[in-house]
Amino acid sequence: MIIQVLNGLVYGGMLYILSVGLVLLFGLRRVVNFAHGGLFMLGAYAGYAASMQFGFWGGVVFSVVALAVLGALLDRLVFRPLQNVDHMITVLVTYGLLLVFEDFVHTVWGADLISVRVPALLAGTIGIGDTQFPVYRLVVIAVAIAVALGLSAWLHFSRAGLYVRASSVDSLTTAMQGVDTERLSIGVVALGTALAGLSGVVAAPLIALSPSMGSSILIESFIVVVTGGLGSFVGAFIAAIVIGQVHNFGVVYLPNVSSMLPLLLMVGVLIWRPTGLARTQS
Amino acid sequence: MSLLELESVDAAYGKAKVLHGVSLKVEKGERVAILGRNGVGKTTLVNTCIGVARLNGGQVSFGGKKVSTIRAFTAARSGLAIVPQGRRIVPGLTVRENLILGSAPNRSGPWNQEAVFNLFPILRERADTLGTAMSGGQQQMLAIGRALMANPDLLILDEPSEGLAPVVVDELGDALVRLAQNGTSILLIEQNFGLVHKISERYYVLSKGSVVEQGSMRGLSLESLKKHVSV
Repeated sequence: MIIQVLNGLVYGGMLYILSVGLVLLFGLRRVVNFAHGGLFMLGAYAGYAASMQFGFWGGVVFSVVALAVLGALLDRLVFRPLQNVDHMITVLVTYGLLLVFEDFVHTVWGADLISVRVPALLAGTIGIGDTQFPVYRLVVIAVAIAVALGLSAWLHFSRAGLYVRASSVDSLTTAMQGVDTERLSIGVVALGTALAGLSGVVAAPLIALSPSMGSSILIESFIVVVTGGLGSFVGAFIAAIVIGQVHNFGVVYLPNVSSMLPLLLMVGVLIWRPTGLARTQS
Repeated sequence: MSLLELESVDAAYGKAKVLHGVSLKVEKGERVAILGRNGVGKTTLVNTCIGVARLNGGQVSFGGKKVSTIRAFTAARSGLAIVPQGRRIVPGLTVRENLILGSAPNRSGPWNQEAVFNLFPILRERADTLGTAMSGGQQQMLAIGRALMANPDLLILDEPSEGLAPVVVDELGDALVRLAQNGTSILLIEQNFGLVHKISERYYVLSKGSVVEQGSMRGLSLESLKKHVSV
């Protein structure tokens, strides 16, 4: 049982790192980014490519930095122009971007599944009860917790974090206080895409890399964001952990309907609290 | 040198033209009022100064410098602090956090958290509560305190008495008088003629997006003032 819970935490942790990037982007730009799954995939492939030259950890650093730079570019060229347009246009453009990313990866690395090895340092297992559990999976949980704590500390105890919280609820008033909300948004979007890259590269040793890996996780990351409450960091954390467990227990005990369970959970939460778990009605 | 000068300003929201050839100036240490009925363009005038309304013609200058591209954050960094209509206290932030947000332009001067708490002691008592959880009067004090935290050259107040009980307006008026006596330059957009009379030295009257009258408050009786600000 404890192993199932831990596996749920691994999946939930991965989902959280990915979804919190969506939350950041939505909070500052009000853009629902369908290309986010593509950024997760690019992160995984960028990390894989760099790890061939610089090892796993070099790949992690490269992936995070490359995705941050890509995020800043996307913010300037795509998200910023999209922030005040019809949501349907946003959906079409960002979904189009996802397809472009998939085609790019397909062209460069092909359609075959690629496996990434767990770094030697973390390749072992650890005894939990009478079962062995992979150390790397515990590291994924630790990374998710570190991201959650780091983000929370940054948002609540730093001036930049205060500006981000203010700007995500009232961008004009924040700008009227002297905050350059455009520059702030570029930084925050870059952080969000860097986290998508981090989730991709961290997930790479656990899942096979393929050009379609972004599309499959995108739906569940949206379920996390909506269930948690659009724009809520705490909500995204709670939702990711819960959905990780639902996903994992579903795969083990209800394999025939496991893919439906997160959706059913989201519907149930939205009927109970239409604004999501952690967002109050404004 | 004028802290704020508008020369023949035309401004609009999209295709809706609101201001037509508005010229006005506020000098250092002055307290100036903008009077006019609802919908004549008073708030648009403020919005033009922060780039929310589009400048179609004319020139805006902050501190004697002509501004080519007006944006809200550059206006704040140039020394214009605005207490907006409806107060716009940022939801989810405490009183203290709202004040810290106000200090974003990082300008030096006498105003800091302690000085704001001394001006409005209730804010000290409620420093760690959410700004939006306070009463309308307390939120107005917070909005003024937040603006002062920027150590502005010019404080622009857009209808600060709106929706407040008369006794709270009196309290607010006293605080603004203290600010004025300390030499703070104020541009007051207001329909409460008592408050206007208490604070301002000069006035402009806006009608249908244009300045139709201006002068010194000294010669203006409460009755004439009432005529300009009545709805």
